Amino acid sequence: MTRIVITGSGAVCAAGRQPAEILAAVRAGTSSLRRIEQWDTTHWPAQVAAEIPDFDARAMVADRKLHKLIRRTDLVGLYAAGCALEQSGLVAHRDTLPPPAAAAYSDRSGVIVGSGGGNFENQYDFLPLMTQAGGDLGAFGRELANTVNPMWLLRTLPNNVLGHIGIKYGLKGTNACITSHSVGGLVAVIEALAALRAAEADRIVAVGHETPIEPQMVLYYHGLGLMSAGVLRPFDAGRDGSQFGEGAGALVIETEASALERGAPVLGEVLGGGLASEAQGLLAIREDGDGLVRAIDEALADAGLSPRDVGMVVAHGNGTRASDASEAVALRRVFGDDLPPVTGFKWSFGHLIAAAGIVETVVTLAALQAKVVPGIATLRTLDPACAGLTVAATAQVPRSDVALVLCRGFASTNAALLVRAS
Amino acid sequence: MSAPARRRVAITGIGLVTPVGNDVATTWRALLAGRSGGAPITLFDASGFATRIAAEVKDFRNRLVTDRRLLKLANRSHHFALEAAEQALVDAGVRPTAETAPRWGCAVGAGMMTADFADLERTHAHAAADGTLDAGLLLSDDAANDPLVFCRGQAAQGLALLTRRFGIAGYTTSVHTACASGGQALGTALKALRRGRVDRVLAGGFDSMISPIGISGFCLLSALSTDNDTPERASRPFDATRNGFLLGEGAGFVVLEDWALARARGARIYAELAGDGNSLSSYRITDSPPDGDGPIQAMRAALADAGATVDTIDYVNAHGTSTLMNDRSETAALHAVFGARGRSVPVSSTKSTMGHLIAAAGAVEGALCALAIARGELPVNANLRERDADCDLNLVTTPTRTRVRAALSNSFGFGGSNSCLVLRHPEEVDGRPGGRGEEAGP
Repeated sequence: MTRIVITGSGAVCAAGRQPAEILAAVRAGTSSLRRIEQWDTTHWPAQVAAEIPDFDARAMVADRKLHKLIRRTDLVGLYAAGCALEQSGLVAHRDTLPPPAAAAYSDRSGVIVGSGGGNFENQYDFLPLMTQAGGDLGAFGRELANTVNPMWLLRTLPNNVLGHIGIKYGLKGTNACITSHSVGGLVAVIEALAALRAAEADRIVAVGHETPIEPQMVLYYHGLGLMSAGVLRPFDAGRDGSQFGEGAGALVIETEASALERGAPVLGEVLGGGLASEAQGLLAIREDGDGLVRAIDEALADAGLSPRDVGMVVAHGNGTRASDASEAVALRRVFGDDLPPVTGFKWSFGHLIAAAGIVETVVTLAALQAKVVPGIATLRTLDPACAGLTVAATAQVPRSDVALVLCRGFASTNAALLVRAS
Repeated sequence: MSAPARRRVAITGIGLVTPVGNDVATTWRALLAGRSGGAPITLFDASGFATRIAAEVKDFRNRLVTDRRLLKLANRSHHFALEAAEQALVDAGVRPTAETAPRWGCAVGAGMMTADFADLERTHAHAAADGTLDAGLLLSDDAANDPLVFCRGQAAQGLALLTRRFGIAGYTTSVHTACASGGQALGTALKALRRGRVDRVLAGGFDSMISPIGISGFCLLSALSTDNDTPERASRPFDATRNGFLLGEGAGFVVLEDWALARARGARIYAELAGDGNSLSSYRITDSPPDGDGPIQAMRAALADAGATVDTIDYVNAHGTSTLMNDRSETAALHAVFGARGRSVPVSSTKSTMGHLIAAAGAVEGALCALAIARGELPVNANLRERDADCDLNLVTTPTRTRVRAALSNSFGFGGSNSCLVLRHPEEVDGRPGGRGEEAGP
């Protein structure tokens, strides 16, 4: 089977704006989770998130005209994609080709994005109009054009990162935008792998992006019992929930032939992916880890690997009671007593929702290259429900150059990805 | 070393909830007759908007899915989705069991709307009376603390409701590329089946943007027809006087099934879902270029993927939104792809009748192509009175009986995603008819 290689990676989150910087923060045991600054959370039941410090839209996307057409989540997505594309050198290479060959190259270059989908803040753009209309929809309609940004709908599109990457870099091949909550970013990588194997494209930039830290979103997650009131401690006996982060990750993935053509340095390889549902509805999770087990099994079969080949596991580890416990069950079911070192990153830079899986993959590649399994620094006492799980507060050593990255989301979705570092 | 034969995929069930009918038979009759779903908006007071018309789903109630606990979690578009999906599964005569659940997939194109307007009004009254949100007041706001508001507004909620209702435990995904979403959902499902990850997929799209916010978004872009006095004529794709699209709503679902499995159980096969083609126009967020670049590559990719030539395409269900730019660009693309056949291949945009179903459009229209093949009938391109020299196509103006060997369905979205599907007559696949129900008029 064609080898599918990684030639570019980019990420931004509260822990840093480059993969190496984020890994360094994780390895140092640094958490970026702190008091939310975007609004006053004084009386809030959930006050902590991992916001990107000193957020500067122009540092994310230099083109100011574009800022009117996109949102914060799109800014970080475009930033990460730009970093990955830059590192891969594919656009620069394309631009050296004669026009017909360059056009063909663009047609064989795809974009697949995992995006958060809906948010609440965009709708607040209508609040001034609603006040003006005083409950009269007739007046609302009449005053609409005088009050609301004419580009409102375009700013709201969940597929903005996809469209604007295409326009900015002239990529015109196969594409998709996945809006299935947290698994979106990781599924983008899995779909890219499948598309490249099926020769639908020669190279694809896969992206995941989300900026969920907005007041209404925090309230809902809190109300559903998903948010920690204290410290995010995956797999810990005292864990009490998750916390949001914001950010984006991107990987340029291509056939080996496409990378060789321009002599691009290879960062790693995408080996296999799996996806499975538990059919439980939006929020419920099975205790037996069924969906995750099947996703991992599928990824292993897809890669032609056995559990013994896996050198480290980067767990979803979101810090909620139900998810972590069932994840531990799933890992024991797949690996038995032969678990490689297990870790997770959300304790450090929060739950990035649609960006989580792909940012964690980017950091995982950097960790594999450094031959380190960073510890879960907030771990104090392993939950007996997670007994046998090979997590640690301090660093471990991967037992091979292969990592398994796990991701779970609303709608009972479970995703698993296997990558190898070069 | 030769590659193993690629799996073929059959469409064995169809369900539709559209502005012209709440089931397949009613919808199909309206599409043949060109009976428009356009009418004044009734869902809210639209009197102040530049556009006061839409193609609403009419007299809808959930007939097949009546689980009240489930429906409480569903927004308007999810209601349509559950009904259409159930229709498709009943039609296919097969559904997931505990044993087969992991081998079933679900791929949906979901709309982009978040909270319902009524919920935003509650938050406005409580936490933003002066027009600016006071985040502190959200703490005591009913809507902001109502988990049902949250669940109904989640992008993944449609997928969650469908997979729970039907017990689908394999590959599941929810995609959104604006008006290309539904087509991409079917294409994604096709690819998952070919990879062997699943044996059957419930695939479709659902959307409803006929709300004060949804209409506002399109009005602000001047994308909608403002023919408020003649709603049934407002959508006239490829007509020289077209002036924007007619917003519709609804859902369309198909059951996709491994061909051999479908034949083995004696299923009625409407058509083969034979090819999927995707491209990005990478031109402007709202348009494709006038020369059709972008859609051209997607159509060619779909044809190549299906192993089909333009000579075998006997029907094109155009994206045909009735906007000035789309119809011109799509015509140019059709001519580029079809060459000499560009003037003779029958084309219609069913948006002329049912309006634009946005994220549901591509799925509904893909299903319509399967119906055109199975029934040997072409739905009309309604409201064509004044031909546009820039849209020189063989538009279907009267219902036409003809054998359709293969059909092409086009969907192009804001953001530049283009999704094209090729469907093929069962006899062209294995020389056997599709089975029960074929050619039967409603």
